[in-house]
Amino acid sequence: MSVLAPIICDNGTGFSKVGYAGNSDPSFVFPTAIATRGPAAQPSRTGPALPSKPGHLASKRGVEDLDFFIGDEALANAQTPGYGVNYPIRHGQIENWDYMERFWEQTIFKYLRAEPEDHYFLLTEPPLNPPENREQTAEIFFESFNIKGLYIAVQAVLALAASWSSNRVTDRTLTGTVIDSGDGVTHVIPCAEGYVIGSAIKHIPIAGRDITQFVLNLMRERGEMANVPPEDQLKVAGKVKEQYSYVCQDIVKEFRKYDQEPYKYFARYEGEHTVTGRKYEIDVGYERFLAPEIFFNPEIYSSDFLTPLPEIVDGVIQQSPIDVRRGLYKNIVLSGGSTMFQHFGNRLKRDLKQIVDRRLDASMAASGSQLRSSGVEVDVISHKRQRYAVWFGGSLMASLPEFYSFCHTKAQYDEIGPSICRRYQIFGSAT
Amino acid sequence: MILLEPHNYIIQTTLAEKAIKPSSLDVQFVDFDGVRFHLSTPDRKTVLLLSMNIRCWPELVRYGVNDILKREYGSLLRPEPESDYNVSVEIDLEQLPPEGEEREAFFYSLAMMKRNALAAPFELSFQAQKELEAAGSGQGDLMALHYRDEEVIYVQASSDRVTVIFSTMFREETDRVYGKVFLQEFVDARRLPTIQSAPQVLYTTREPPLEIRHLPGLNDTEDVGYVTFVLFPRHFANQATANSTITHIQLFRDYLHYHIKCSKAYMHSRMRHRVSEFQKVLNRAKTEQAVGDRKTASGRTMSIR
Repeated sequence: MSVLAPIICDNGTGFSKVGYAGNSDPSFVFPTAIATRGPAAQPSRTGPALPSKPGHLASKRGVEDLDFFIGDEALANAQTPGYGVNYPIRHGQIENWDYMERFWEQTIFKYLRAEPEDHYFLLTEPPLNPPENREQTAEIFFESFNIKGLYIAVQAVLALAASWSSNRVTDRTLTGTVIDSGDGVTHVIPCAEGYVIGSAIKHIPIAGRDITQFVLNLMRERGEMANVPPEDQLKVAGKVKEQYSYVCQDIVKEFRKYDQEPYKYFARYEGEHTVTGRKYEIDVGYERFLAPEIFFNPEIYSSDFLTPLPEIVDGVIQQSPIDVRRGLYKNIVLSGGSTMFQHFGNRLKRDLKQIVDRRLDASMAASGSQLRSSGVEVDVISHKRQRYAVWFGGSLMASLPEFYSFCHTKAQYDEIGPSICRRYQIFGSAT
Repeated sequence: MILLEPHNYIIQTTLAEKAIKPSSLDVQFVDFDGVRFHLSTPDRKTVLLLSMNIRCWPELVRYGVNDILKREYGSLLRPEPESDYNVSVEIDLEQLPPEGEEREAFFYSLAMMKRNALAAPFELSFQAQKELEAAGSGQGDLMALHYRDEEVIYVQASSDRVTVIFSTMFREETDRVYGKVFLQEFVDARRLPTIQSAPQVLYTTREPPLEIRHLPGLNDTEDVGYVTFVLFPRHFANQATANSTITHIQLFRDYLHYHIKCSKAYMHSRMRHRVSEFQKVLNRAKTEQAVGDRKTASGRTMSIR
């Protein structure tokens, strides 16, 4: 009988994406949250519950350790007396292994309904994850769950692989710059031949949550939100962002267009009060193009972070080794929900191209027009699978027949120990 | 979560989603015991095709799975299953039952497809028991179900009971120990006054129970154990009890393994806690380094920052 499909588990700070390899979308996307008995803040000083009486009979020991919920159910139970919600992943890295182990336990048995002993697993990790964390993960998966084999991939590399699905990509390379923008933070990560250039990574404190907040502020200022019940306002702002926003090429022209023909450009959003069912309508205007503009002109939103995204990307590439820079400029890949705005890629490409060309012109002038550059190709790739790009890249990788040879198997783990998982072979590299 | 749920979440949620907003789809997923599913929209967006592959299908056919599936799904069943799969049902999203409870129940019944298929030998043996009871004595056929590579369920009806035997296989030493404790607990727990009516459970390692000892090719290595459940007529007296008995008993192996894994997770969290406690003790024991005044040769004080 053929091997059952590998399981792809992409546990992010906000959401976990899990499913089976070979599919184009994850089977489940739910918050990485776990609701356990007891207060949310810290696990009690005494640690996990001890059996109240000696002996191993369940009737004596109690089953507190099984009393928890994960994902959407966890948030639904947040208000239930006695439960507290915890987020075991902070800034992409696992903070609380106890909770994470139980989170995985329920992901596998309740949602995926898979017998872990029959499956290979592909997990993801953020760039610059310490190898100790990787070992811990391997320990849990091999020793608690007895899985067949494990591969831990870097998220950015999987996002690069996901871009292969775009028909604009001709050569399948693992060199490129990944712009990963989720809910909490945006990363710009350069990769060369499947390896992350750790020293050049930059983080931008502007991401999905900030855009929503910005939309909300704009609409409040215009007085549109007066009709909307306060508890729904953030949700409405999120909907407006997802459904109506796009990136414009010229902000001044766009304003003029809106002022001349407001009926053509202003959209109308219809909502319904969640409790009373009262209908309300609001006009959606300038925020349609202003929302994603905070990536390109952050000064309109925040006062402490002022560098536009194209400049950051340029800086990241300039910090990388000189021999990969061309590859990095040529293959800029978008990943995550906050890069889904229409024309986002085009705008980024145009702005970045301007920066690069200006520098080339300057160096040409400095050399007294003696040295003429052949030009640097800049290309930003957007594709259909951007939202769950990391998961999709994993699914793509794990459905290759070579995948199994890249995994570390249970037998290898038993032979060498957790340190085997410090290193993984990069996909597509020569053996 | 103490008991595993019998229905498949992916089927249930995907169907509910597609009922609201039909779109083309092609997903493959699995369930416990190597059951594979394929959910797709081959022709139109509104017609979903759900196919299932079970490895012991030929055996199930012998035990009458086709009748059970026909009873459960009726006209939804496709006469010819999709290639590489054993059974296919077609769901027309335009002809769903009205929204609300009825529709939920419909989706739930589809999500129970694996459970319904595996119910075949159990239903057959419950029936056989009734017939044998009327006849007064005798033994039904021993039905084997090779539901995993190395593990088998045997079901046999007698005049006064139905015996279900699971052969279990532990590849891991630790798992075997945990498994032993658990299975022992099943035997012990029955002594409690509250669960007197539970089925009787017997557990042996290596030694196959008498019912199946005559079978050729039984594994009698150290890793193998046999769990026997004795179901009495009261466990399948009416349709509802019979159904819940079947639901629970066929998930027994997954239930056991789930709890072994949960126990390990619990042990690990105790271990982590203990290590951090020890680390605190060690940190407390560290002597503080006395930093006296250090003087240079000329008598000036040297300060270290």
